Amino acid sequence: MRCFAMKLFAAAFLLAVSCWAQSPIKRGEQVFAKSCATGYCHGVRGASSGAPRLAGRGFNQAYIINVVMRGIPGTGMASFATTLSRPDLVAVVAYVAMLNGVADPKIGSDGDDAPASTGPKFTGEAARGARLFTEAVRSFGRCSTCHEVDGFGVSVAQPISQVPASVAALKALATPDVKTGTTDNESMPVLMLSDGRQGTLFYDLTSAPPVERNAQPGSVKFTDGSTWRHSSVIEAYNDAELDAILTYLRAAIKP
Amino acid sequence: MPRWIEKSHMISRMRFWLTLFTVSLFTISGALAQDAGATRADWPHYGGTQFSWRYSALDQINTSNVKALTPVWLFQTGDYAENLQTTPIVENGVMYLITARARVFALDAATGREIWKYAYPEPPRSVPGFVGNRGLAIGDGKVFFGTKNNDMVALDQKTGRLLWRVNIDDARQCGCNITAAPLVVKDKVIVGGTGGDGAHRGYITAFSTKNGRLAWRWYVIPGPGEKGNETWKGDSWRFGGGAPWLTGSYDPALNLVYWGTGNAAADFYDADRVPAGADKSKDINLYTASVVALDADTGKLRWHYQEIHDDQWDWDSAYEVLVMDREVRGRMRQVLVHMNKSGITSVLDRVTGELLGVFSIPEVQTWISGITEDGKLVGRVEPQLGKTTTVCPTAAGAKSWNSMAYSPRTGFIYVPVNELCEDITPNNAPPEEGQSYMNGAFPIKLAPGRTTYSHVDAWDPITGKLAWKVPYKYVLLASMLATAGDLVFTGNPEGEFYALDAKSGNKLWSYQTGAGHRGGSASYSVNGRQYIATSTGWHVSVVGGAAMGLFPDQDWRLGSTLVVFALPEPSR
Repeated sequence: MRCFAMKLFAAAFLLAVSCWAQSPIKRGEQVFAKSCATGYCHGVRGASSGAPRLAGRGFNQAYIINVVMRGIPGTGMASFATTLSRPDLVAVVAYVAMLNGVADPKIGSDGDDAPASTGPKFTGEAARGARLFTEAVRSFGRCSTCHEVDGFGVSVAQPISQVPASVAALKALATPDVKTGTTDNESMPVLMLSDGRQGTLFYDLTSAPPVERNAQPGSVKFTDGSTWRHSSVIEAYNDAELDAILTYLRAAIKP
Repeated sequence: MPRWIEKSHMISRMRFWLTLFTVSLFTISGALAQDAGATRADWPHYGGTQFSWRYSALDQINTSNVKALTPVWLFQTGDYAENLQTTPIVENGVMYLITARARVFALDAATGREIWKYAYPEPPRSVPGFVGNRGLAIGDGKVFFGTKNNDMVALDQKTGRLLWRVNIDDARQCGCNITAAPLVVKDKVIVGGTGGDGAHRGYITAFSTKNGRLAWRWYVIPGPGEKGNETWKGDSWRFGGGAPWLTGSYDPALNLVYWGTGNAAADFYDADRVPAGADKSKDINLYTASVVALDADTGKLRWHYQEIHDDQWDWDSAYEVLVMDREVRGRMRQVLVHMNKSGITSVLDRVTGELLGVFSIPEVQTWISGITEDGKLVGRVEPQLGKTTTVCPTAAGAKSWNSMAYSPRTGFIYVPVNELCEDITPNNAPPEEGQSYMNGAFPIKLAPGRTTYSHVDAWDPITGKLAWKVPYKYVLLASMLATAGDLVFTGNPEGEFYALDAKSGNKLWSYQTGAGHRGGSASYSVNGRQYIATSTGWHVSVVGGAAMGLFPDQDWRLGSTLVVFALPEPSR
């Protein structure tokens, strides 16, 4: 049964890859970084951390598939057959094969097996904006506290679909979705999520980070309008920084 | 009587009463600290009480009758793939339990009957990090826990209904998760995070228990312009690790929260983070590898004590902090006891952070030749670029993250100790935010020339003397529990859960639970009947996995079951 599953996987391996737009090697590198290089395991680019080195070991692709799918009983190497998605499995196997010098890690005939472009996704001002958008040193004052763009950040706000034309426009941004929620003891700026019999789910925007709250039905009254302003939560950025962020958003968000 | 004499007389009388008041206050707080570390009917916190003793004052089960101890109920969580690491919480006859994937259960603590459950929506597989959860916290009528994707969540304690949740950080960016139990202090819930072995800057964050709003955040690593930032080279502070990934303690009399911080990143390679010419007998890379005292209301640092200056071995001072009052050199002192992965154990004055005593626990120790009375490391064996250096113990810990216990009746701490070594080969790869930044391979191996690789120890932390030890063939990775019945409980990877005599270490009772032990135990009572509860189920990732690799003929069983024991009720 296991053997059959393995063959099936090997077949799917070739199939799945041809459907991809993104380079599987690049994807495999990302999967590897998150699932294999972590903690006490195989280290950055398979150079070994607590677990054995995987780079330059002369592993062939069949062996890699076998180990990734079945794990190695009695060791820390678990099976990833159910913990990774199929495309991630295919990608990470291709990546580890590449680390072992497999020149042609059988991943389709559409050019995906060409070495991954190692260049950064964004350059110049957009790259700077990307950094500013998620910069950890800004703690909860960074854009990604409420916005998810390009796979980073928390999607409190609706996905950004239109990028403001200028810093002035960004500062003047209207936020009609932000309402005022009033309970027995307090009044706060809120972003509604749902209002049902189970409860009223909303983001409390009083301070950053926003808190998702679940109130008893009918216990919060909502009225249009709020004293909350987007311009005040982006205060920690200067105009040049906001300009770089807008450049990044234009590059990252395709209409 | 002239007025000034009368006045001075009054002042001296006031002084007398004030002194008496102060003395009695100290005596009372001393007595409280002797007592307040013990749990009774409830087991309200991760570490028992917020003094983190893992000690129950219940003595119905004791050395004379423990042989009769028998399982009375068990609870299968169903979340078996990643084991059960949690320490159960009990209040008013209700047990609260969290599993690896953050499924939360409220159970009748006498029968195991489910009262409510809450399943946290599982984060997508693409969220990096290990699946695991070491416990929850209760307070303000709520149940609090953290998640793999860094949500802090509050449920209604009575119903399990979601009240609020707030995201602390994007795991995809920081490479960090919450696996530790939070600490509830007055109107705040305080939590640390993982990620210190990656390019990340660790922090502790406090939220209002009422509505989840941010109360304070303390960064382990000071930013530019803040005191301590000068102990970092260039901008290495940005990704310098130090994650406080376990649960702290709290002293209400001083209103201080105590927490251990992780080692600096990169773990095994220091040239990019240590300023040129730094003196390794002084503080380096603050406030990593330290015990810190924070004001509970503001999160402001009151004092720090760095245990390992320039920790290049991943000794990771993130472990539990035991708060106790003990006589030190003839004087009653308010102390704390703290161990890091190296097994070096510090006794500090918890008012000032002054070092009062230090000792080392493992039998095999090669990374230093010794430690002086004032805590200076002698003969450091540092990992070097381009070389492989063998050291003992290992980054898996002379003790792992599982907690020790302390009994005020014996005055001993009870510690599971592992005897392992590792070959460290550092590298100088640059940091990438949220990615592994250990910068070294460190395959772990058995300490040479031995037949047993772990032991349960009893140490008097004040004298630094070993009272007894019980050797064990494999490794020990479960927390300890001590009780006023002079019993010490823990479990091993083979599935055996057992009781030792707290005074002698003699094994008095054991029970095969069927799966390896990697979690915490607790004791509590309902309607006058004392119970002992333990989490079972082995874990294959991180240290559990590394340990399995050391003993390839072993097949320690996974699982996720809570097993509860009591003495048989008198037959009717």
